[in-house]
Amino acid sequence: MIKIIRRSIQLRSGECEGGWTWFMENIILLSIIFVPVAGAFLLPVLKNASRTLRNGAALSMVLISLAGSCMLAPHVLAGNKITVFKAFPLGLNFVLTADLLAVFMAIASSLVGAIIVLYSFGYISHYKNQNEYYFLVVLFLGSMMGIIFSANLIFIYLFWEMTAIASWRLIGFFRTTRDVLRADKAFLVTVFGALVMLIGFIMIYQSTGSFDLASIKESCKTNPISNIAVILILFGILSKSATLPFHTWLPDAGVAPSPVTALLHAAVLVKIGVYVFARLFIVTFTILPVWHVVMPWIAALSALVSAGAALVETDMKRIIAYSTISQIAFIFLGFAVGTEIGIAGALLYILMHGIAKGGLFLCAGIVEQNTKTKNITELGGLIATMPITAVSFLFCAFSVMGIPPFGGFFSKYMVISGAADSGQILLMVTFLAGAILTILYLFRLFNKIFLGPRVFAGAKEGSRVMVFSVALLAAISLAAGIYIYYPSSFVQSAVKQMLGAG
Amino acid sequence: MMIDIMLLPILIPVTAAIVVFLAGEKIRWAKEIVSLAALLANLFIAIKIFGQNLSFSVPWAGFGMEFVLRNYHFSSFIISAVAVFGVLITLYSTASLRDKGYAGRFYIFLLISVAFANGAVLADNLILMLFFWEGLLITLFGMIAIGGLRAYRTATKAFVIVGLSDLCMMAGMAIAGKLAGTFTISQISLPLSGLGGLAFIFLIIGAMAKAGSMPFHSWIPDAAIDAPLPFMAILPAALEKLLGIYFLARISLDMFKAGPGSWASMLLMIIGAVTIIFAVMMALIQKDYKKLLSYHAISQVGYMILGIGTFVPAGIVGGLFHMINHAMYKSCLFLTGGSVEKQAGTTNLEKLGGLAYKMPVTFICFIIAAASISGVPPFNGFFSKELVYDGALERGWIFYAAAVLGSFLTAASFLKLGHAAYFGKRNGAPVKEAPIAMLVPMIVIAAACILFGVWNYLPLKYLIQPILGARILEGHNFYGFPTNAMLVIVTIAVILLAIINHIYGVKRSGSALKAADHIHYAPVLSIIYEKASKRHFDPYHIGRKIVGLFSRSMWAIDKAIDWIYNDAAPYLAYAVTGGIRRLHDGSYNTYIIWSLAGTILVITILVR
Repeated sequence: MIKIIRRSIQLRSGECEGGWTWFMENIILLSIIFVPVAGAFLLPVLKNASRTLRNGAALSMVLISLAGSCMLAPHVLAGNKITVFKAFPLGLNFVLTADLLAVFMAIASSLVGAIIVLYSFGYISHYKNQNEYYFLVVLFLGSMMGIIFSANLIFIYLFWEMTAIASWRLIGFFRTTRDVLRADKAFLVTVFGALVMLIGFIMIYQSTGSFDLASIKESCKTNPISNIAVILILFGILSKSATLPFHTWLPDAGVAPSPVTALLHAAVLVKIGVYVFARLFIVTFTILPVWHVVMPWIAALSALVSAGAALVETDMKRIIAYSTISQIAFIFLGFAVGTEIGIAGALLYILMHGIAKGGLFLCAGIVEQNTKTKNITELGGLIATMPITAVSFLFCAFSVMGIPPFGGFFSKYMVISGAADSGQILLMVTFLAGAILTILYLFRLFNKIFLGPRVFAGAKEGSRVMVFSVALLAAISLAAGIYIYYPSSFVQSAVKQMLGAG
Repeated sequence: MMIDIMLLPILIPVTAAIVVFLAGEKIRWAKEIVSLAALLANLFIAIKIFGQNLSFSVPWAGFGMEFVLRNYHFSSFIISAVAVFGVLITLYSTASLRDKGYAGRFYIFLLISVAFANGAVLADNLILMLFFWEGLLITLFGMIAIGGLRAYRTATKAFVIVGLSDLCMMAGMAIAGKLAGTFTISQISLPLSGLGGLAFIFLIIGAMAKAGSMPFHSWIPDAAIDAPLPFMAILPAALEKLLGIYFLARISLDMFKAGPGSWASMLLMIIGAVTIIFAVMMALIQKDYKKLLSYHAISQVGYMILGIGTFVPAGIVGGLFHMINHAMYKSCLFLTGGSVEKQAGTTNLEKLGGLAYKMPVTFICFIIAAASISGVPPFNGFFSKELVYDGALERGWIFYAAAVLGSFLTAASFLKLGHAAYFGKRNGAPVKEAPIAMLVPMIVIAAACILFGVWNYLPLKYLIQPILGARILEGHNFYGFPTNAMLVIVTIAVILLAIINHIYGVKRSGSALKAADHIHYAPVLSIIYEKASKRHFDPYHIGRKIVGLFSRSMWAIDKAIDWIYNDAAPYLAYAVTGGIRRLHDGSYNTYIIWSLAGTILVITILVR
């Protein structure tokens, strides 16, 4: 890693004016990715010194990613792009690019990731194999950062598979046969998709002669990417982002510990697919216009099927997982219709949904740990003994439903408006139905768990750090709506950059 | 830093709500004082900026979503009304919720509701308006849900129904914004054809659902039973009507080029007429004080929608005048219901009776408000109804007939209610008059009902007519006694008929409560009533069934897809690998045959 930095300094120092700033930016960009990726391997060793040290180190590694992404924000907002480049043979160039889209995504996922790690301090302390847990979580978040900043298809693929391996072990964290089978299912589906996607990448290499996104962008301006390559890549994206018909691994993965499900289902893993969709199909490739119709309709089907299933399901984590599938479809809608406000809405949706859905999973984790059940028909009346968890859950649910003044309102409105702007009114109405189902299943969930007659008289609040984490997520959901000006103006610049020449 | 005066109606109540929230459960009087002081300050601001043309604008979420507030005659009229009701209902609540554990939470929700209502009315940007408008869902849910352990079902019902309509409104705004190229309400002017028509329908769904018109009404009677009473007096009776009709008027008069000849007019008038008739039919047979009132809260919306839907000056003025009148007499009626509930311990009419002598002030206020809603001259309801009749008659006798029939049934049901609750024999424990804090709001509103009736030029000339301006009014003035004598005669005849009907009903059944039984159990009607009481006509009920069916079929699709992953794919894999494994049977002969076959295959391909 150090070599790469040194080489890239030698490579670029001549052509760059502000040498020091440029150097710092590169250091920051590399550390966002490699501090967690490399540091993860240190965590099991640190356990020998002290458990607190290990936990603290895990959190600070994620916080370094978050802080680094925030530090890059002023530079990219000024219209710059930060690039780290190291040439390798066979088109396997190591390229990192930080533009507004990448920085936005990095902030969104590392913010939620950091809160989830904080929550883990309370949650995971009851279980065995904590070393493995922290190692994989941090590795996972680091690889996620790698996907976000990579500007080369092969490196995107590499980090992509690293997240798959990490999530495989995390889903099967509790080592019963059923958990391991579910983990295998998630792994097989996503890796199958990724391999198909790799074939698509190779096809693109053959037609454009490069894996670098920048050069692909130049060469496909004249001739659009072939439909077969688009379909192959979509296989990977849809399987990772759990969209119909590759979605069934996601509810099954609910057997994992709650912070893991929050991390995988809400904040990070499923967002990989939509992020890469935006990175490839909006920023880089030129595709045929028919995909702006086909893709939203795939998403619409996904939204309806999963929302319907969420209304029948009785396992609370599976309900939230189905909800994720359904909400991911809204993000796809925003990106796929290709209108400016739709893309902006989808970006905001990634942020708002990550925060709120993370909160829902973490609240479910508190409930599960205190009542030892996930079956909502056995629960009820918990608001009396767990008021903070209940209110946080409700706040996050409001945000997912898209109720103002919570942040989810703006993202939901903007994707719906994006569909209206593209002139696809029927599509918009279908998604409205999806939004109504969202209200129905989230209220069903909330009412069954927290309201009605009390079933568990002794159920207490979770540990202080856990309750603090969920309350923090709920508060951020609310603040993101009230201070919408800031995320929204960031997103507006990002959309301009994504669609513009830059 | 100076805060713009237009932000204060939003910020003051929200700040007070935060203070009340932080105050904890112990110091109750502080919460009451903070809430009351904040709402009084809000009222002061509302009066201070009344009628002024102010605007305030800061950048917000981008893409045409600007934080733009606009104070002009109409919006300042609505926020003043909201402020008055806020103060009165809070004053009432200090007494009526005194022994309730949820009082603190009620004040928080009430304050936020007032803030959001102010925001929605002042907003001059569609999305900003939706932001506040849809935000009211949360306080709606909260205020109903605190009413009891089972109240959350009704709260969810209300949330889903109103939430659905708000989503429709969101869609309508997206389309309207796209067509008009702006989200600024005062700059939008769209035709009613094509997508514009769709946007119009989506938008009026939102407005009508907020006002509680059919078919978005069915949560209101349920909430009357479950929710705390001051909630009924402030939200469904006052705030939601004001907001819904305000926005309906904005949509139909400002944003769209709708006229008397358009389909929009016909649609609104039909919805109005249907709402009047069916809701009042349900009100007639109710045996609970609050539930009976709640059906009237639905039915009266019909008059407002019918009035505005006529698109003729008299109708529009009447509709808007009816909006403010209804907010007054209906919240007064709910407040009397609240005193009865608090003092007598029930609102079940079978257990009430003879309260007139025990609770004279409540009774008098009830009489005034009931006379207003029944359209008895010279109370305010009479004048606004006459204007609506006037407009309806101009557009078609059928709408006029529906409105008059509605009036007949309204009068009949209030005769029944008043008779059953306040006269007859008192059975049960002795009751006293309600405390002074509960009486004052009732007296104030009842007095205003008389004021707005007898001196109706005050509201009409200074509040209602300036909203429309000379262009829509076409030079007419609508204050003073109605000029159309025929209409007045019909109205008075209808009221007399209702009284005769009531006397007949009481004679026939021998009980005030059963005064409407000859209508209830009339042939055909009894079957319809039977079905209605089983919720066969409740759109929410029907919707839940459809959604249940839909979600089970989606569940089946999901399971079918999962079967491919869980069973079909592994089975296929085992079948293929098992088949291949069988070929490897360890026999030397088999391998030789395979090798030979392979060699031959390769050679044939190469040679060919």
